[in-house]
Amino acid sequence: MGNKLNPVGGGGWLPAGLASNQEADHMSRFKMPPQIFRLVLLTIGIVVSYLIARQLLTPASFRDFGFYRGAALEEVASRTPVYAGKKACDECHSEVLLKLAKGDHKTVSCETCHGVSQEHAGNPDITPVKLTGSHCIRCHEANPSRPAWFHQITVKNHYTGQKCTECHVPHQPNEVP
Amino acid sequence: MSLEITNAIVEAIPRFEGYVYPNESGTHPLWGFLIVLYPYITGLVAGAFIMASLVRVFRVKPLEPVYRLSLLTALAFLLCATLPLLFHLGHPERSFQIMITPHLTSPMAIFGFVYAWYLMAVLFLELWFDYREDFVEWSKTESGFRGILYRAFTLGVTDVSDKALALDHKLSWIISIVGIPSAFLLHGYVGFIFGSIKANPWWGNAIMPIIFILSAMVSGIALCVFNYMVLTWVRRRTLDLRCLDVMGMFLFYALVIDATVEALDWIHRAYSAEEGFHVMEYMAKERLFYTLSIGQVLVGTLIPLLLLGILQVLRKRIPDAVRKRMYFGSAVFILIGVLAMRWNVVMGGQFFSKSLRGVMSYKLEFAGVEGWFMGLILLSLPFIILTVLIKLFLAERLPTSGHVPHRMEGI
Ligand code: HEC
Ligand code: HEC
Ligand code: HEC
Ligand code: HEC
Repeated sequence: MGNKLNPVGGGGWLPAGLASNQEADHMSRFKMPPQIFRLVLLTIGIVVSYLIARQLLTPASFRDFGFYRGAALEEVASRTPVYAGKKACDECHSEVLLKLAKGDHKTVSCETCHGVSQEHAGNPDITPVKLTGSHCIRCHEANPSRPAWFHQITVKNHYTGQKCTECHVPHQPNEVP
Repeated sequence: MSLEITNAIVEAIPRFEGYVYPNESGTHPLWGFLIVLYPYITGLVAGAFIMASLVRVFRVKPLEPVYRLSLLTALAFLLCATLPLLFHLGHPERSFQIMITPHLTSPMAIFGFVYAWYLMAVLFLELWFDYREDFVEWSKTESGFRGILYRAFTLGVTDVSDKALALDHKLSWIISIVGIPSAFLLHGYVGFIFGSIKANPWWGNAIMPIIFILSAMVSGIALCVFNYMVLTWVRRRTLDLRCLDVMGMFLFYALVIDATVEALDWIHRAYSAEEGFHVMEYMAKERLFYTLSIGQVLVGTLIPLLLLGILQVLRKRIPDAVRKRMYFGSAVFILIGVLAMRWNVVMGGQFFSKSLRGVMSYKLEFAGVEGWFMGLILLSLPFIILTVLIKLFLAERLPTSGHVPHRMEGI
């Protein structure tokens, strides 16, 4: 094939064509070169399909109030709750609630440790997930961002190899088992 | 009186400990390994593109054999650049929403525009104009799937007259010139995302975008050296040593500038010793020792500087085989070092913040979305894409038009 480029010559620093008369003639006739024409078509195609997609896919309530879906709150609220809340447990586990209320975990909700239990509260035959104690470190692992008054441990140095519940009563953390 | 009341109230609520910065609210940093990969991959894109523009704009003739390879490398990595973000955020299936409801004032959302501009207006166009003549040629000779593909890529334009080609050439030259600031923008943007965070002494720094661009150029050129050497090895061809020498030269220069600017940054920080500097010192000596002092400084900067420096001075006297190994070694070291640099920026910044209350830790897991296995997959994906691109567009059996990206005449 060889080098077909730039028959115009001219040399110098400018790229092919910039300095050429032939090109100037061409420009003055305002005929769009075919490759540019196709690119323009393609661009128009892309923009148009984008606009159509945008029309179809933008959620209906978007920008009703601002830069978000206006119906977002209703959408979230319409989901079925998976957490039952402390009160729901009171019906059958009131003794645990009483115990919990006395100790340091009084502010901690049952389901923070036991996980979502809506199903269990509705039907006790469905037992909640068995707890091993690994969830304790979610709150108690030492972390500089936690307030200093909060009881923290470095798990690596705190009686490794045993379950937390062997030495601590989860519902009464101030008690000794 | 009122003071006493205030004091009494303050006494009554002793459990107040002050403001907690967002990155301190959890045990682990929010941004993990995937966010480390994001600036790494975008940096490789920008660097590989700048490598290609050395040929097209700066007319570095010896680099011609790697021109197309570096453009394709940039493309392959650009196609993967958003993946770490999407996987990190979860719900990649919702990603289209970013395009459907574009946001103009969120710096994070601006990446959509930067990315789209770079992909569509720069890389695709430059590649198309460069390949147009070949597409026309190949669409005549190839059949089957390839034939359909090449025919589609011609967009139906079969005009390969000298005039049309001259226009192609002119346009890709212009695009390349537009592409250089665009590549700077692409990666400068990533640096800006970190540099603009005022609450973080590790990040909040005006020269962050510059450091990012410089390290991107270094890593991009190193990646091109790596790809070129691997490709010729796979194809059992002989390496163009002149090309390699010139790449090595540019790699050396880029690395020198990059290392200087980064050192300047540290000198500036050390001398001004603002409030958090002792934490930074601690980080460099302890928490980030392996990635910063060993990975970034020793492996990523000093060793390659030494190797490439020796090569600059003694090029003629070093036997070819050794020279090749030295180039390959420096490229690999730099690629590792820049990855370590991204790690130090992304993770280091999250280990502490302006509250200066302490340093957090992060353990890179094996499994999970943020694990290193996933990271490895995401890092090998661009190479897989590149292999496909090379098979399609750099196939040995397909004739190339023989035109050269920089003009032969007049030079
Ligand atoms: C309708 C009564 C009822 C309600 C409401 C209820 N539970 Fe139970 N729960 C039971 C019964 C009965 C058992 C014993 C079942 C068993 O031993 O298998 C039980 C057992 C448990 C267990 C022990 C499971 C095990 O592995 O031994 C846990 C933990 C528990 N409930 C948590 C909760 C929580 C938390 C709530 C509130 C969200 C709750 N329950 C609400 C009736 C209830
Ligand atoms: C700090 C975490 C924590 C909280 C809060 C907590 N539990 Fe538990 N709970 C545990 C653990 C751990 C066990 C398992 C104890 C064991 O294996 O010895 C357990 C066991 C139980 C059991 C099984 C029988 C028993 O009494 O040991 C019931 C029932 C139960 N919890 C109910 C509740 C209810 C109801 C609440 C809320 C009022 C609650 N828990 C709050 C951690 C917690
Ligand atoms: C949702 C967070 C949370 C979880 C999970 C949690 N705790 Fe606690 N824990 C607290 C809070 C809040 C306190 C009260 C503040 C304090 O005293 O540090 C506390 C206090 C304690 C104390 C200190 C009691 C004292 O004053 O001597 C112990 C021990 C303890 N928890 C053990 C556990 C164990 C064991 C588990 C796992 C079964 C657990 N915690 C799970 C939040 C949690
Ligand atoms: C071998 C028994 C044992 C085991 C297992 C154990 N602890 Fe303790 N823990 C203790 C004792 C004893 C203390 C009080 C003295 C101390 O601080 O060592 C304590 C104290 C604590 C405190 C209060 C620390 C403070 O600053 O006062 C927390 C919180 C705590 N433990 C959580 C846990 C958690 C979470 C686990 C499970 C990962 C666990 N412990 C496992 C025996 C144990």
